[in-house]
Amino acid sequence: MRKLWVFTLFLLSFHSMAEDHLLLMEQANKYYNEGEMLSAIETYQAVLRTGFESVGLYYNLGNAYFKTNNYPMAILNYERARKLAPNDQDILFNLEIANSRIVDKIEPLPEFFMVRWWKMLVNARSTDQWAHISIITFLLFLLMLLFFLLSKLIWLRKLSFWAGIIFMIFFIGSVVLANQRYQAFKLKAEAIVFTPTVTVKSSPRENSTDIFVIHEGIKVSITNQVGEWAEIKIADGSKGWVKESDFVRI
Amino acid sequence: MVRQYLQLNNMKSLKKIFTTMKTKQQITLIMVFLLFSLHTLLNAQQIEFRGTAKSVVSVGERFQLQYSINAEGTGFKGPQISDFNVLSGPNASTSSSVQIINGNVTREVSYTFTYVLSASKEGSFTIPPATITYDGKLITSNAVKIQVVKGGQQPQQGKSSGQQGTGESVDVFLRAEVSNATPYLGEQIIISYKLYFNNQISGHDGFQKISSFPGFWVKDLLTNQREIPTKTEVFKGKQYNVAEVRRFALFPQRAGKIEIQPAETELTVRVRTDSRRRSSDPFFDSFFNDPFFNTQAKDIDKILHSNGLTIDVKPLPTKDQPADFSGAVGKFLLKTEIDNTEVKANEPISIKLTIQGSGNIELFDLPKFSFPPDFEVFDPEIKSDIKVLPSGVSGTRVFEYLVIPRNPGTFKIKPIIFSYFDITSARYVTQQTPEYNITVERGDGASSVVTYSGTVRQEGIQIIGSDIRHIKLPPYKFQPVGTFFFRSRTYFVCLILPLILVVVILIVWRKQMKKRSNTDLMKTLRATKIARKRLKQAFTFMKENKEDEFYIEISRASWGYLSDKLNIPLAELSMDNVKTKLTAKNIHQDTINQFIENLNQTEYARFAPGSKSENMEKIYSSTINIISKLEKELK
Repeated sequence: MRKLWVFTLFLLSFHSMAEDHLLLMEQANKYYNEGEMLSAIETYQAVLRTGFESVGLYYNLGNAYFKTNNYPMAILNYERARKLAPNDQDILFNLEIANSRIVDKIEPLPEFFMVRWWKMLVNARSTDQWAHISIITFLLFLLMLLFFLLSKLIWLRKLSFWAGIIFMIFFIGSVVLANQRYQAFKLKAEAIVFTPTVTVKSSPRENSTDIFVIHEGIKVSITNQVGEWAEIKIADGSKGWVKESDFVRI
Repeated sequence: MVRQYLQLNNMKSLKKIFTTMKTKQQITLIMVFLLFSLHTLLNAQQIEFRGTAKSVVSVGERFQLQYSINAEGTGFKGPQISDFNVLSGPNASTSSSVQIINGNVTREVSYTFTYVLSASKEGSFTIPPATITYDGKLITSNAVKIQVVKGGQQPQQGKSSGQQGTGESVDVFLRAEVSNATPYLGEQIIISYKLYFNNQISGHDGFQKISSFPGFWVKDLLTNQREIPTKTEVFKGKQYNVAEVRRFALFPQRAGKIEIQPAETELTVRVRTDSRRRSSDPFFDSFFNDPFFNTQAKDIDKILHSNGLTIDVKPLPTKDQPADFSGAVGKFLLKTEIDNTEVKANEPISIKLTIQGSGNIELFDLPKFSFPPDFEVFDPEIKSDIKVLPSGVSGTRVFEYLVIPRNPGTFKIKPIIFSYFDITSARYVTQQTPEYNITVERGDGASSVVTYSGTVRQEGIQIIGSDIRHIKLPPYKFQPVGTFFFRSRTYFVCLILPLILVVVILIVWRKQMKKRSNTDLMKTLRATKIARKRLKQAFTFMKENKEDEFYIEISRASWGYLSDKLNIPLAELSMDNVKTKLTAKNIHQDTINQFIENLNQTEYARFAPGSKSENMEKIYSSTINIISKLEKELK
C-alpha cells in the first residue's frame, strides 16, 4: 500500500513537471504572437534550461530569433530542431529563408551520387525513428523465424525464409543508420559561426596564412581539433582552421 | 558684367524732366542760340584740362578715370596706362550749362573723356598726363596719382565713410534678416537681404552672388519679380530707403548651429558732387540747389558685405515620433479621392492623393497606396503646384493613380497614414485617409478575359513577400536534452525481450513435441518406421529360409502397422473390425480388400503345407505393396 502511494506521488510530480514545460511554452507562444520577441526568446530559453528539448521548442525559438534579425541564433536553433526531426518541412523552409539572409552564399560542392544517396538515407529519419524501425524489423524477423521453424506447410516455410532474410537486412541497415546519426549527434561535428567576420587560417596558429573569410550564420563541419583551434570545412569543400570560440556546435 | 540700371530713388523727378523737354528740336534750338550768342564770352574764360580719379582704390575695384576740359577740345590723346587694366574708354561725353544771373549769361561747356580702369596690384601709381588740342594749342593735363590698397579694405556696410572730396557721403549698406533664428530641422525659415540706402543707386550686379547657403535646401522667393519695390524704413534712428533685394525660403537639413556667411554684392552709387554756388540770395539758393540744376554727380563703385547670421537648428523631438514619420515639417492636409468603388473587372479606377500645405512639401516622400496585388497599377501622374510666395513655400501635390482590377472580388485599399511635425504646436500630427472597400464584379464579355480562348484563366499564386512560417503549436514531445531511444535501456529491452520470447516459444514447442511422442500421434508417426523394420527382418528370414519366423514377422508387420496407424491396440484388432476401421479412415475399398486378402494369404501360407519358399517371396512383395499403398492413402 505504501509503495503504491510513493508510486502515485512520483507520477504526480512527473506530471506537474511536464505541465511546467507546457505552461512556459504557452506563455512564450503568447509573447511571440504579440510580437514581444525578446520576452518570447527569454521564455523559450527558460524551457531549455529545465533540461528538456523538443522539436517545437527549437523551431519556435529559431523563429523568435529570426524575427529579431538574429540570424545566426535562428539558424542554430533550426539546425537543432532539424537534428531531432530531419524531414520536417516547416523547419527546412524557415532554415532556407534564414540562410538566405546571411552574408555568405556558398555553392555546395557536388557530391558523388552514392554519397548523396547515403546522406539522404541517413537524414531521412531521426535517430530514434531509425531505432523504432530497427525494432519493428527485428520483431518481423523473429516472426518469420517462428513461421519457418514451426510451420509444416512448405510454401509458408519458403516464404518466411526469404522474408526473414529481408527483414534481417532491414534490421541491420536501420541499426547502422541509427548509429550513424547517433555518432554524429554525440560528436557534434557541425557548428554555426557566430563571430561576425572570421578569417580562416591555414594552420592552427594565429600568424599563419589567411585562406578565406567567412561570416556569421554560416554552417561549418568540424573535421579536426587541436587545442582551442578547430579545423572546419564549409559546404564548398574549403578547409581551414578557426578558433573554437568563433562558433557554436549544433 | 551686365549692368542693370534701376531708377531707384530719383526716378520720379527724372521723369518730370524728360516730360518737360519733350521735343529734341526744342533742345537743339536753345543750344544753338546759346552757343552763338555767348561766343565772345568763351574766349575770356580760362581753359582747364584736368584728370581726376579716386586717390585710393582697392585691388580689383573698378573705378573711373576722367579727363575733362571746359572747352571744345579736339584730338584727345589719352595717357599710357600700364599699371591698370583698361576696361573701357576713352568714352567721350559732352555737357553744357547756361546760367543767366541778372542778365549776366554764363555758359559752361565740359568735354569729358572717361576710362574705366581696374587695379591689378597694390602700390602707388601715377598715370601720365593726357593731351588735347584747343584753338590750335596743345593742352596737357595733370598727372593722376592713385594709391592701390589691398582688397576688402573698403568700408563695410557703407557706414557713411564716403569718398573724400565729394560733397555727399555714401550711406548704403546691406542687411540680412531671418524670420526665425531657432527653427526645427526641416522648418521653413525666410531670410531676406535688404539694401538700405540714402544715395541713388545707379547700378548693381543683380545681387546674384547671394545664393549659397550650405546646410539648407533653398528656394528663391523673388524669382518672378521684375522690379524691386522700395519703401522707407527707420533704422537706428535714421530714415532709409529700403529695397528687399533677395528673399529665400531655407529648410535646414541638419541640426545644430549653421553659420550663414556674410553675403557680398557690388554696387555703383551715384553721389552728387558739391558744386553749389556760394550765393547770398536765400531764394535763389534754395531754387538753384535743386537737383535738376545741380546734376553734377559721381558714380562710386562699392562692395557691400552683409552681416553674417547663425541659425541654431533644433532637432525634431524624438519623443512620440511616429514610426512612419518621413521628415515632413510644416502644416499639411492629406486627402484622397476615389471616383468609383463599385466597378466591373478591367474597368479603371482613379484614386487621387492630394497633399496640401506649407512647409517642406517638396522635400519628403509621400506615403504610397498599397493596392491589392491583383490590381494592375500604373505609375501615378504627379501634379505639383508649388507656390513660391514672399511669405514662403506652400502648395499642393497631387498623385493620381490609375488602377485596373483584373479579377472580381471585394478588395480593400488600406488607409495611408501620414505624419508631420506641426511647427505651431510643436507636436507630431498623424493623418489617416479613409479605407476604401472596392467591389469588383465580373466583367462583361467585351473585356480582355475573353481572349483566353474560353478556358478559365488561371494564374500562379503570386508570392508577395517571403517570411518564415509560423511557430509550431502544441502538442509538443519533450525529452531530456541529449537522450536517445536508440542505445537506451528500453531499446535493448525491446530487442532482447522478443528474442527471449521466441526462444521460449521454441523450447515450449519442442517440449510439447516430446510429450506427444509417447502418445498416439507419435505412434502413427512411427508406424511406418516399425513396419519397415519388421519387413527388413522378414527379408533376412526369407533369405535364411526360416519360414516360421518369416511369416510371424510379416504378420507382425501388417498388424503392428495397422495398430499404430489406426491407434488401436493389437488385442482389439481382428479380421472383422479391420474393414470397418479402415473404411472409417476413408481408405479405398479395393485397397482394404487387397489388404485383407494379403492378411488371409499370409495366415494361410503360414500354416499350409507345400513349397513355402515360393510363397514367401510372393507374400513379401505383396505385403510391401499393400503397406506402401495404405501408407499413401492414410496420409
